[in-house]
Amino acid sequence: MSEKKKTVIRVEDLYKIYRVGESKVRALNGVSFTIEKGEFCAIVGTSGSGKSTLLNMLAGLEKPTKGQIVIAGEHMERKNENQLVKFRREHIGFIFQSFNLLPTMNALENIAMPLTFQGMDKETRLKKAEEVLALVGLTKHKNHKPTQMSGGQQQRVGIARALVVQPEIIFADEPTGNLDSKTSAEVMNLMKKVIKEKNQTLVMVTHDDHLASFADRIFRISDGKIVSIEYGSESGVDHIDTK
Amino acid sequence: MKFRDMLRMSGSSLWKRKVRTILTVLGVVIGTASIVVMISLGLGLSRASLAEIEQYGGITTITVEDQGSGGYMEEESSDSQAEDKHLNDDVIEEIRNIPHVEDVYGVLETEALAMCGGFQTYVSVRGVEPEKMDKLGITLAQGSFPEPDAGYLQAVYGNMIIGDFYNEKTGEGYWYNGELPDIDLMNDSIIFVFDMDSYYNFIWGGGESEDGSAPVMPKKRIIEAAGIMEGTVEDYGSNSYYVYFDINELKKILKKEYKNKAIPGQPTTSSGKPFKEIYYSSIMVNVDDMDYVQEVQNQITQLGYHASSNAEWVQSMQGQYFYIELALGGIGAVSLIVAAIGIANTMMMSIYERTKEIGIMKVLGCDMRNIQGMFLMEAGYIGFIGGALGILLSYTISFTINTVIKNLDLGMEMNMAVGISYIPLWLAGLALVFAVFVGMAAGFFPSLRAMKLSPLAAIRNE
Repeated sequence: MSEKKKTVIRVEDLYKIYRVGESKVRALNGVSFTIEKGEFCAIVGTSGSGKSTLLNMLAGLEKPTKGQIVIAGEHMERKNENQLVKFRREHIGFIFQSFNLLPTMNALENIAMPLTFQGMDKETRLKKAEEVLALVGLTKHKNHKPTQMSGGQQQRVGIARALVVQPEIIFADEPTGNLDSKTSAEVMNLMKKVIKEKNQTLVMVTHDDHLASFADRIFRISDGKIVSIEYGSESGVDHIDTK
Repeated sequence: MKFRDMLRMSGSSLWKRKVRTILTVLGVVIGTASIVVMISLGLGLSRASLAEIEQYGGITTITVEDQGSGGYMEEESSDSQAEDKHLNDDVIEEIRNIPHVEDVYGVLETEALAMCGGFQTYVSVRGVEPEKMDKLGITLAQGSFPEPDAGYLQAVYGNMIIGDFYNEKTGEGYWYNGELPDIDLMNDSIIFVFDMDSYYNFIWGGGESEDGSAPVMPKKRIIEAAGIMEGTVEDYGSNSYYVYFDINELKKILKKEYKNKAIPGQPTTSSGKPFKEIYYSSIMVNVDDMDYVQEVQNQITQLGYHASSNAEWVQSMQGQYFYIELALGGIGAVSLIVAAIGIANTMMMSIYERTKEIGIMKVLGCDMRNIQGMFLMEAGYIGFIGGALGILLSYTISFTINTVIKNLDLGMEMNMAVGISYIPLWLAGLALVFAVFVGMAAGFFPSLRAMKLSPLAAIRNE
């Protein structure tokens, strides 16, 4: 990564406090960090550590109780729901654990869906979808419905769907949580390869240390606080195959 | 998001749940059809009664009557002005200048005795210019209208005339024993006597006529038939009882026949003497549109003539039918309301099922308005399809009702030939718009709910 570093995500002193009956639960308890363009970051933690809450707030799906989130120069905590939706549409790609493809649409249509929301006409969006589909190596499956594809293939469609809008940041929530370990490795490899090619930023949430080791940087989170930041292996692509 | 893409997405999600969509649509079909058919009955009745009024002298026709002979204005006829107010061509010109008047023509009315092969009857005779006859609403079953300036009298018989002939000896006729006399009005020679006073004076040997001279047998005229009006002997129309002639020929004959005597039906001077001129008995005014009849009638009345029309009758009749249509439509609307609840229910169900899908779309950046729009469109689709099919069903039902009623031949007075159920295009169009509106209204709150769904549900809902 020889190019100039540029901050895409800046989180400052972020709190999220849930009220459960009388008591307060601090899901996030003062988190601060920055992520630069082109970085592949993993947020690792056990269940209940606050990692998913953090991701949801980064993606604008939840409001923080206190603190600042600045993504691509815009304050997420100051946006209303409509503005958040618009922001996601233009700047964010999302990869889900359970793929969340629409069962009635084929691979190509699923990938083109976010472009539909942008108001792109059918011809252009299908052409773009086809390009990213080739990138994830599923051109042969473009007319297949999600039910006609394996889990790994479905997640590859999911990755393509996140890529198609050419977002500044891609968020991935346990992207391999529903896949076996071999397929997981394939998918991780693919993700890493593609974002490096496109110089895109990826923030992934996982509880799996091994998957986290694919990342450039690993945020370890526990009880709502970042406990350590580690640097992953520089030659991630190589050691994937050792698994 | 493009409107076309929204249409496609909401259409395909309806298609995905075919059975439920069809059932919901069915509710709207029945709802729409019940409203349309109900209102069509009201409209049909209203139209049938308008057709009936048409037979009683037309909807756009105003009749101006001579004040002396009209009977209504007796006190005014003693007025010195009254003599100037008899109806002639000057009056026709005066009325023709009123706005919205399409056509004006005079009618001369008198009486005669008609005889044929042992049967006879009194007939009311009318003279009109031949080209105006169809304006009076005369349609012929046989023959043609008289040729203008034929030089002799040609008769157009009303369809009920034949039933008026009675046997000279027994006095029995159709209305007495139900048998039509054996007369062919078209081809038999019918004999007319116009001066009936002289005729009876002669027959019964009254000795002397009014001026003291010996009674003279008036001329018996064999009159050729030009045509017979459409309709059976029992179909009443405003012209059915009349025999029509060319007014110019009739005037010539009457002048010859009566010479200096008063012609029956004509106004006289205060001393009972006839005028030199033969006046019209009435003047017919055709107005270009039903809505202006009352206005024109008022203006004619202001000119000092006695005018009458069916305008008030039509107005009060239409008012009544408007309320009938409203009531019938209200009854039909009940089932559309039930259908609307069905739509709302279907949409709610659909939102529960699609929580995840809605969430995914929101995470991927689908505008909240677009999400609401898609759900509204789905509801609108149901309304539209249901409405369109409902209108088709209505036309089918309407056609069936009309066919059945026609075949039943209820013998009602009302003219059922036009059908009891009538769906004009505007009603069909309005019903479709209304069905779509009801569908979207029913889908509004569900769509609001879909819009407000939290996108987190999609991710948590594993």
